[in-house]
Amino acid sequence: MRRNEDARLLTGRALFVDDVQVEGMLHVAFLRSQHAHACLRTVDVAAARRRPGVVAVYTAADLGDYWRPGPLLVPPPPIAGLVFNACTQLPLARDKVRHVGEPIAMVVAESRYLAEDALDDVMVDAEPLAAVVDVEAALAPGAPLVHDHLPSNVAAHVVQRKGDYGRARAGAHATIRRRFRYDRGASAAIENRAVAAQWDPRAEELTVWDTTQAPIPIRNGLASLLGLLESQVRVIAPFVGGGFGPKIMMFYPEELLVPWAALRLGRPVKWTEDRQENFYATTQERGQVHDAELAIARDGKILGVRDVFLHDTGAYDPYGLTVPINSQCTLLGPYDVPTYESEFTAVFTNKTIVTPVRGAGRQHGVFVMERLLDFAAAELGIDRAEIRRRNLLRPEQFPHNHEIIFQDSAPLVYDSGDYAPALDEALRIIGYERFVRDEQPRLRAAGRHVGIGVVCYVEGTGIGPYEGARVTVEPSGRVRVATGVGTQGQGHFTAFAQIVAEVLGVDVERVHVITGDTREFHWGTGTFASRGAVVAGSACHAAALAVRERILDVASRHLEAAKQDLELADGHVRVRGAPDSAVSLGELALKANPLRGAVRPGTEPGLEATAYFGPARGSTANGVHAAIVEVDPETALVEVRRYVVVHDSGRVINPLLVDGQIQGGVAHGIGNAFYEQLVYDENGQLLNASFMDYLLPTATDVPPVETAHRETPSPLNPLGVKGVGEAGAIPTGAAFAQAVEDALSDYGVEITEIPLSPNRLFELITQAGRGGAGGRPKR
Amino acid sequence: MKDRVAAQMTVNGVPCERAVEPRLLLSDFLRYELGLTGTHVGCEHGVCGACTVLLDGEAVRSCLMFAIQADGHEVTTVEGLAPDGGGAGSESLHPLQAAFREAHALQCGFCTPGILMTLVPFLRDHPSPNEREIREALSGNLCRCTGYQNIVAAVKLACDAPPPPPPSPSLRR
Amino acid sequence: MIVEGTFTFQGPRETVWELLQNPDVLVKVLPGAKRLVRAGEDRFDGVMQVGVGPVTAAEFTVSVMLKDKVPPQYYAMEVDSKGTLGFTRGSARVALEVLADGGTLMKYTAELQVGGKIAGVGQRLLDQVAKLMTRQGLEALNKELRARLAGGSSR
Repeated sequence: MRRNEDARLLTGRALFVDDVQVEGMLHVAFLRSQHAHACLRTVDVAAARRRPGVVAVYTAADLGDYWRPGPLLVPPPPIAGLVFNACTQLPLARDKVRHVGEPIAMVVAESRYLAEDALDDVMVDAEPLAAVVDVEAALAPGAPLVHDHLPSNVAAHVVQRKGDYGRARAGAHATIRRRFRYDRGASAAIENRAVAAQWDPRAEELTVWDTTQAPIPIRNGLASLLGLLESQVRVIAPFVGGGFGPKIMMFYPEELLVPWAALRLGRPVKWTEDRQENFYATTQERGQVHDAELAIARDGKILGVRDVFLHDTGAYDPYGLTVPINSQCTLLGPYDVPTYESEFTAVFTNKTIVTPVRGAGRQHGVFVMERLLDFAAAELGIDRAEIRRRNLLRPEQFPHNHEIIFQDSAPLVYDSGDYAPALDEALRIIGYERFVRDEQPRLRAAGRHVGIGVVCYVEGTGIGPYEGARVTVEPSGRVRVATGVGTQGQGHFTAFAQIVAEVLGVDVERVHVITGDTREFHWGTGTFASRGAVVAGSACHAAALAVRERILDVASRHLEAAKQDLELADGHVRVRGAPDSAVSLGELALKANPLRGAVRPGTEPGLEATAYFGPARGSTANGVHAAIVEVDPETALVEVRRYVVVHDSGRVINPLLVDGQIQGGVAHGIGNAFYEQLVYDENGQLLNASFMDYLLPTATDVPPVETAHRETPSPLNPLGVKGVGEAGAIPTGAAFAQAVEDALSDYGVEITEIPLSPNRLFELITQAGRGGAGGRPKR
Repeated sequence: MKDRVAAQMTVNGVPCERAVEPRLLLSDFLRYELGLTGTHVGCEHGVCGACTVLLDGEAVRSCLMFAIQADGHEVTTVEGLAPDGGGAGSESLHPLQAAFREAHALQCGFCTPGILMTLVPFLRDHPSPNEREIREALSGNLCRCTGYQNIVAAVKLACDAPPPPPPSPSLRR
Repeated sequence: MIVEGTFTFQGPRETVWELLQNPDVLVKVLPGAKRLVRAGEDRFDGVMQVGVGPVTAAEFTVSVMLKDKVPPQYYAMEVDSKGTLGFTRGSARVALEVLADGGTLMKYTAELQVGGKIAGVGQRLLDQVAKLMTRQGLEALNKELRARLAGGSSR
């Protein structure tokens, strides 16, 4: 199955936002804070304004009423006792800067080069303040405050409970307790963010090109802020070069200010982020510290889990509690956990804002649970795969209510799943038993450090509220599908086309999908939470079914046959058993839109229908990752020798696309596990703000991923699908840690943190071995 | 305004001449002066490889070069790969482009032009590379979507290499 | 970032002290210094041009406050510099000891906070560059010292 979008992308014809070039276009550069925390005294832009080629320079003071904190995107779910302090980002800093890279002034000039030149002319007088960097120190009495109007740096405090953990603990054979750290990483889409805007004074229409995952909410928000009708604003998210979460943050200051400047100046304006800005100004994820405890019975059955964690939300918290609630809910995994007590505190720090990045906090929960199970297995002398098998939810336990609230404000209920066979399949593919029994002892005897890791996860996907789609059969017989979600490489142009093609009996290549253009479709929310295929896909399906009905109505009249005797195939409708009766869909589209004559009362023209789909709640995908790694204890380099993913995302629309999502997710996960870490110093300065120092995995770092699919359909949508976009990245850290630890079992290394790096692993080996360089085996 | 100097080069077989600022990057020249926006910029410091183009047939990072350094040279961008710019149908794709499409070697497609332009001279010099060589050739290009697996598969397909054997559980090196 | 070390000057402590307090000398010996003037009893203001690794050289305005002076053996400095590429803030302590051979041993230690682009992009090289610049400056100062002792300025 070839992708419909590929020819454009491969030949360089696909439009990305920075490709937008309009006559008279102005270019923007932002002056950003060099300090993590400082009082802004004066921002002097007079010299910058005088520079030839500079058209305008704006500071917070120039924005007037347009200066206001951004919206709270995701209000906190209804959890009893919840504390949440909303402090959303500002368009341009006014009195204070709260992270390095926060924008202070905006320069608009005839070229980007000139705009950047003018940044040198802006004089900022800032009084540096002590920075809040470490989440624990942030909560200490007397810590500097990121937001002065709050009594502390607490952004949120949430406790969720299921059953009586204290009682479970009292009856436990053993309790396993550890502290886990999961540090920050960047989403690092290869395309940086960009916004271009053009006001057409004749049409009185504002067109905005934006690298957003959510063009419709951007349109609605801009219209309201700029005092325009929603229909006067057209937001286009054309081809977007990778999203991974941060491109759905809104409003970024830049996407608020560029359209405003275009209106104000009456000229098209464009801003494209550079890579260094991306490291400071595009949202990030992952800083958490967990103190977790597992109460376990002698036979390895989980009696309960208690987890207390700190979540670093950065300088502002516009995305609410999505990330820490995902961590909280995903921790439970595919297991039967009778009691659970989870408490988190989200903490403001003088660092870049945290919003979901592929996995969106789920990986933290999986890491904690899977590591606890590993330590429990070791303590109880139970095989690692076996302890998992003993705790998996059984098919008869579905739908399974975990009795806590998920990020979509609905109770965390698993819709369907069949977990044990997925575990068995992964073990079979990677050859677990044979490896542990025969191969590993042989390799160890030969002095090699090779280990295996097997971890399970459940991923909440495909949440509401809703998406929509419009399907139109054109007189050419080609089919147009318009939907509101943006697309960032997932293959929506093909997957949605397949869904519609199957219903209408046309060739996939005859289905033209349009996404991310509010003029084409303007109801919906966006691409996030692994929900495109589930929610928008289901809407496409519903719209296609409605069009099919209309096709059958028109064809039935035209062919003088009962609808139930008709069949759709090859772009034609036929009377079953009468091949000569065929009439093409294009012909029927023309008949459905007559130029003269009368139609039946109530008839709508054309073969077109719009439909919406909103799931009752999210569907839960699941899977198992298994890895074999080899570690060189001298250099602490790790080579991933095998990587197996067995994934159940319900019904698979397109295996090629699903495999692609998983392969990319695993690469992302391996990056997070071993290469990628945003390093901040004690003053809140990011020390590796380039691809020279922040290492993304390359083709030589990432193993081939062996995938297998299981299909347990979701009962929550007509297609039976579940999401897959984040699956590859979620359990990777846990699998990697377990396998590395196993490889180094004779050193007694214990891994409770992610990301590792060769340096950090070397330290761990040295500490554990207490030996000289490279450590020494314990035995 | 800075003094402009003439830059004269052949781009995708077409001679062109522009007066440009000496500091104008080749990537910006191709994208904004010539409108060849298939060349993408991902990091502006020569690491990601998205901006790779051919200079006299060899892969270079156009974000690390000034336009005037290409003066007198022949530049090929992704738009110059397919015989007719890849108009309609896969018949008009370069064999490597066709293989990428066949093997699902791209997702968002942003890094893809640079990867293609890196691979073209590599495959010219190494017509039948093994997996290790392919991965090493790709190691200067970053892709965040694919995990590289299908890119490797596409290169093998383009070389008409036999499909790889199924991964063996043995760890013998 | 902490920069510390020792350096031996081939000349008497009083002369070394005098040179270290003379902006006209310092502007000659400090790498990248373009201007340095006395802006008060114990304050120097100036402009330096510094680049770090991949970050091309750019101008920084620098102000230095001398504190806790105990001539000719000890002084401390508060340093504050800023430019479009970032900023440096911090303090340094300098001690001068008389050596038996008539030379002067300088012990210095500086604690600097570095921010902005030079921190984000130049981090890997920052320590090296700081050490290199310190060393170059001290060597040039020693050269100036020897030239003076030999009966003239090095210029």
